[in-house]
Amino acid sequence: MSVRVRVRNAETGSTVDMELEEENTVQEIIEGAAGYWEKDAGAYVIRKGKKLLRGQQTVLGASITHSDDLELIPDPEGG
Amino acid sequence: MEAVIGSRCLVIGAGALGNEVVKNLVLSGAKSITIVDMDEVAISNLNRCIFFRTEDAQAGRSKAEVIAHRAKELNEVAKLEATIGRIQDLPSKRFRENDVVFGCLDNVAARLHSNSHSYYHRVPYIDGATMGTSGKVQVVIPPSTPCLQCAMNRTHYKLMEKRFSCTGADVTFFEPKMAAEITTTSVIAAVQVREGLKVLSGKSDECIRNIWYYNGLANRSDVLEVDLDPECAVHTK
Ligand SMILES: [Zn+2]
Repeated sequence: MSVRVRVRNAETGSTVDMELEEENTVQEIIEGAAGYWEKDAGAYVIRKGKKLLRGQQTVLGASITHSDDLELIPDPEGG
Repeated sequence: MEAVIGSRCLVIGAGALGNEVVKNLVLSGAKSITIVDMDEVAISNLNRCIFFRTEDAQAGRSKAEVIAHRAKELNEVAKLEATIGRIQDLPSKRFRENDVVFGCLDNVAARLHSNSHSYYHRVPYIDGATMGTSGKVQVVIPPSTPCLQCAMNRTHYKLMEKRFSCTGADVTFFEPKMAAEITTTSVIAAVQVREGLKVLSGKSDECIRNIWYYNGLANRSDVLEVDLDPECAVHTK
């Protein structure tokens, strides 16, 4: 069963809707969204509410459901 | 306060964050601090590093040694030790000798190394990271909390591979795509040390669970939880 979610770009505020299957992983969502916005190569994470989702989790495993709002955040690396 | 004075702290990385973290630690009363970095001071470091001077860059002085020397001016009785080299070359037991480890690094590979060795020796690890006007602090308290690796995904590993292929053998020559503004560095380092003081004073339960994200442009900051990854190689038996 597929679910439709909205992903927000934390850097610009723009959003994109994504159609996901239960077996899709969080890192596939990250790469899909980063590719859509043609992001620079770099590390990114996805949050759902107060949770940062782990990359290997599936849509089902991360309890991502229809109409969920996710956010793509660039993960800082500098020091 | 006594716990802080008697503590031993390891600061890994003597860049912008390392400067600020050491300054905050010394001014908070910490008296035994080891600073590890392999690099020398460069002119481009001077606009965001409180302890570096033009003469240090001209003389090619070691970042770790300069911080150790100048931070001592803030507290003469503090014992600051500089170790010149890559964190990957430091004997693992050096992690065990400390009460808290501060990650002030600029690349994924060194962070993963510091994270795993701190976790193995059950030493709390407080990692800071910055980019432009954004940053984050992750607090890792082994064996109860998730570690850095639990929160990483394929984009982190791709970045690590890219750094390696760009430089051939050494990842430490990488320049981040956007240097942090000093205000970001100050905020992140302050939170790192605040969390460290909680750990040292027996208040680990009040530490950030698990990552604090800061966006200085959007006036936002959020604490995000991470689940412990049951398959994470750092803490699976
Ligand atoms: Zn882990």
